[in-house]
Amino acid sequence: MIIGSQKPIEEIWEMVRDFRKVLVFGCNTCVAICHAGGEKEAETIASLIRMRAQQEGKEMEVNHLGVMRHCEPEYFDPVMDEVKKYDLILSTACGVGVNFLSDRTGNIPVYPGINTSFYGAVEAPGNFVELCSGCGNCILHMTGGICPIARCSKTLMNGPCGGTNNGKCEVSKDVDCAWFLIVERMKQLGTLEKLSEVLPPRNWSTSRDGGPRRVSLEHIRAYEEQESQKAATAGGKK
Amino acid sequence: MAQEKIEEAPKPYRPYGAEIKETRPYSPCRAACPAHTDVQAYVGLIAQGRYHEAFEVITAPNPIASVCSMICHHPCEQSCRRCTIDEPLAVRHLKRFAIEKSLDYRRARRRLVEKTKGKSIGIIGSGPSGLTAARDLADFGYSVSIYERHPVLGGMLASAIPPYRLPREMLKEDIDDVISKGIEVKTNCEIGRDVKIDDLAKQHDAVLIAIGLSLSRSLPIPGVKGPGVLLAIPFLEDVAFDRKPSLGKKVLVIGGGNVAMDVARTARRLGVKDVSMVCLESAEEMPAWKWEVDEALEESIKINHRWGPKAVRREGDKVKGLEVVKVKSVFDANGRFNPSFDNDQTSLLEADTIIITIGQMSDVSFLKGSAVKLDERGRVEWDPATQMSSAKGVFVSGEVVTGPGSAIAAVANGHRAALAIHLYCQGEAIEGRLPVQEKEKIEQMPAQVVDKINKEPRLKIKHLAPELRCDSMVHFEIGYDEEEALKEAGRCRGCGGGAVVDQKKCMACLTCMRICPYGAPVVTSVSEIRPEYCQACGLCAPECPGEAISMVSYDVKEIRRTLPQTVGKIEPKRQEPVIAAFMCTHHVGVLGFDLPKNVRTIPVHCTSRIDVLDLLKAVEAGADGVAVVRCGDGTCKYRDVARRVEARVKRGQELLKMLGFDPGRIEILSASSGNGGNPYATVCADFSGRIKQMGLRGTK
Ligand SMILES: Cc1cc2nc3c(=O)[nH]c(=O)nc-3n(C[C@H](O)[C@H](O)[C@H](O)COP(=O)(O)OP(=O)(O)OC[C@H]3O[C@@H](n4cnc5c(N)ncnc54)[C@H](O)[C@@H]3O)c2cc1C
Ligand code: SF4
Ligand code: SF4
Ligand code: SF4
Ligand code: SF4
Repeated sequence: MIIGSQKPIEEIWEMVRDFRKVLVFGCNTCVAICHAGGEKEAETIASLIRMRAQQEGKEMEVNHLGVMRHCEPEYFDPVMDEVKKYDLILSTACGVGVNFLSDRTGNIPVYPGINTSFYGAVEAPGNFVELCSGCGNCILHMTGGICPIARCSKTLMNGPCGGTNNGKCEVSKDVDCAWFLIVERMKQLGTLEKLSEVLPPRNWSTSRDGGPRRVSLEHIRAYEEQESQKAATAGGKK
Repeated sequence: MAQEKIEEAPKPYRPYGAEIKETRPYSPCRAACPAHTDVQAYVGLIAQGRYHEAFEVITAPNPIASVCSMICHHPCEQSCRRCTIDEPLAVRHLKRFAIEKSLDYRRARRRLVEKTKGKSIGIIGSGPSGLTAARDLADFGYSVSIYERHPVLGGMLASAIPPYRLPREMLKEDIDDVISKGIEVKTNCEIGRDVKIDDLAKQHDAVLIAIGLSLSRSLPIPGVKGPGVLLAIPFLEDVAFDRKPSLGKKVLVIGGGNVAMDVARTARRLGVKDVSMVCLESAEEMPAWKWEVDEALEESIKINHRWGPKAVRREGDKVKGLEVVKVKSVFDANGRFNPSFDNDQTSLLEADTIIITIGQMSDVSFLKGSAVKLDERGRVEWDPATQMSSAKGVFVSGEVVTGPGSAIAAVANGHRAALAIHLYCQGEAIEGRLPVQEKEKIEQMPAQVVDKINKEPRLKIKHLAPELRCDSMVHFEIGYDEEEALKEAGRCRGCGGGAVVDQKKCMACLTCMRICPYGAPVVTSVSEIRPEYCQACGLCAPECPGEAISMVSYDVKEIRRTLPQTVGKIEPKRQEPVIAAFMCTHHVGVLGFDLPKNVRTIPVHCTSRIDVLDLLKAVEAGADGVAVVRCGDGTCKYRDVARRVEARVKRGQELLKMLGFDPGRIEILSASSGNGGNPYATVCADFSGRIKQMGLRGTK
């Protein structure tokens, strides 16, 4: 899922200080699970902003709200009338949610309440770790299920660099060397010989290099109303 | 009474969560109570020092709550889930405590109820069943008249249960609660003798027969007729109405049930030193409650087991004793009561007076020839689905139709009858509308949960020593003091008052499953919290990032909502810092709530329920300092709480730091709760001092 982390209150304050009515708008899926931007955290941020405003002697109305997801219109449409009563929406969804919502609020700005960090897993309660970069062309079958793009500090594709050191990366002794992990794992799987195959240079156009990406499912796209909604997303015109 | 103001009937008090509890399995204590008293709610309120609310919960389903607090056989305790850990909660005794704490409160809240229905109901008999129906019907807005053949109201409670178990002042408070609603009372009025039943039926829109079982059964044995042989109920009535029966030096009571115990122990208190009992059953088979038997033995009453009465032996008129025959067996192969005797083994039990206590029946002679039909065995014909007799508009309730049971069972049946009468008077169908008695209940505590709960023995209920109590009718049981009551109430595991997931909000993040010390939540596509595991500690709700968890027994957002009022107006020129103190009420915590005015207390059943947002809200409301005050001496009722609370406080401190506050404005304080005095005063005063050093917010 998408992992986010909260922004320092000072940064938030700089964003919101000139608005009179602010809605901190939480998203109750990924960013709620990582305790960054669910409705609950939205309420916390709202409380902090109110106190900050008080410290500055500023008149400000700050409320909070939350919906299941900011990345599907069905979830926020029902509260849109309410949302539009504000001068500023501080969305605590991931960047996807902020973009998506911002395209649908007319002249009301949507600002990010959190930093969108990465795609990650819950390693242990309260510990989130990046494991995938969303490159658009998965090769995990070739690398023992360990992604060298996300987990190798240099995104090396054919084995470690000279900086590998007893399983650790030269970048920091707290970072595992992804290639060390790949070799150990493939040994265990008995597929080490696969590594003798040299991976050809990658086509990065499926990643960021090809511009904003889109996945279209023909079998599901058939719904007319979805088509019309899609038109509203910037960069996503038919 | 005429000048008393008529006010709207008070709405029955509903504790928080009452509605949701109806949709879920009951706590076993509640399911076992015939009136379904919400034990978990009131014990929880007592534990928080909220005695008047506890009183409301107790009396909502039970108009004779003071009585029950002394004499109920408490099926709630027998089914308490704490039994699998150590011993059941002393539910009945806690009830007594809450009621004793609410005497002025209850007197002040008595109100005349407006008679809005324009119909009148006549109730024959003022026992638990009749009184209950009277209260309900008055609350519905009917004019109610009670007809009672005795000079006082209360049925067996007034006329038979001996005062050493039930002081009459307590009964009077219950009766006054009911009567104050504006009920017409006709004592010394026996239906059949003073008013004919058919005339009564004409006077009222509906009639309720709640006459109980007022006749004692006798024994068909030689010598039974004549002086020196008494029947239980007339004997107890004589005692109750101060007509001292003369008993001689030796009394023998026939019977092994609870009434027999009352009779023997009453005889003992009338100055008879030599009281013995004889019954068919062995000690194990005896129908009397074990505690009754133990208390009787303490009072040096002898019990002759497994003997059957054969004949009363007399010398002239005077009773000499009872000839008895050895019992071979009491029950037959099918487990039915069918005693068999060994006629070769007999004995003579000497006595001056013999009191027969082998059961009761009702006196329905006044119904003969009326529209109310009797069956071939002389019992009132009735339909349990409608509580109606064969005569239209004439209803029945209580022991006259259910047979012998308990006072609280008669109460439950009285509620049914009242509802039936109300439906009838409103021209509605009754069948299918009366409440069902059996309720689904939470299962016993799983072994892995039992292992995680500290053993804590029940607080002993003290009695007057036998040598003191046998001399008079004085009440022999001593109530809990406040400290005892708080400790005992703190033992309750809060069954059914725990966590519930709003499945629309849950995003299956697994936090609750990871955090719960008792393994209650199971998360599949959404979380489900299993009530048989949940201890209602409240730890999970503040951790749920989706705010999907609520608690049945309290509103998790209430503190946040009410904090601005709790903190109150902040005086800009104040000298003392305003402290918002979240205080654990557990154990005897409430005794420490008497604090200087600048400390605004927020009671919590456990610090586990405090949310980061609650801490922030206190600062937002203007508090100079926020304290989380917990007991520091290991009386803690739940597990793994301290660590989580510390983490939340730390988070609150970090957030405050971001705003430029001194993080020390939020602190955890530990206080020792034992040894009298105010456990919280010192730690709060010290904290106040530290906050003063930091400066008062918004002042120079
Ligand atoms: C000695 C004794 C001890 C008990 N101890 C306990 C105990 O410890 N705990 C417990 O839970 N239960 C106890 N019980 C049982 C409890 O008292 C009964 O369950 C309860 O009183 C039944 O209530 P009721 O309303 O059906 O009838 P009752 O209480 O019997 O009330 C019926 C009333 O109707 C009146 N009446 C009868 N006929 C007429 C008439 N024709 N006209 C006018 N009035 C009439 C009677 O005088 C009586 O007042 C005890 C009972 C006895 C006898
Ligand atoms: S522990 Fe409390 S709630 Fe649970 S059964 Fe016993 S008295 Fe009832
Ligand atoms: S903590 Fe809340 S959102 Fe997460 S699984 Fe439990 S109930 Fe669902
Ligand atoms: S944490 Fe406490 S309240 Fe929550 S489910 Fe577990 S026992 Fe129940
Ligand atoms: S000691 Fe702590 S955890 Fe225990 S009951 Fe008190 S506040 Fe709750």
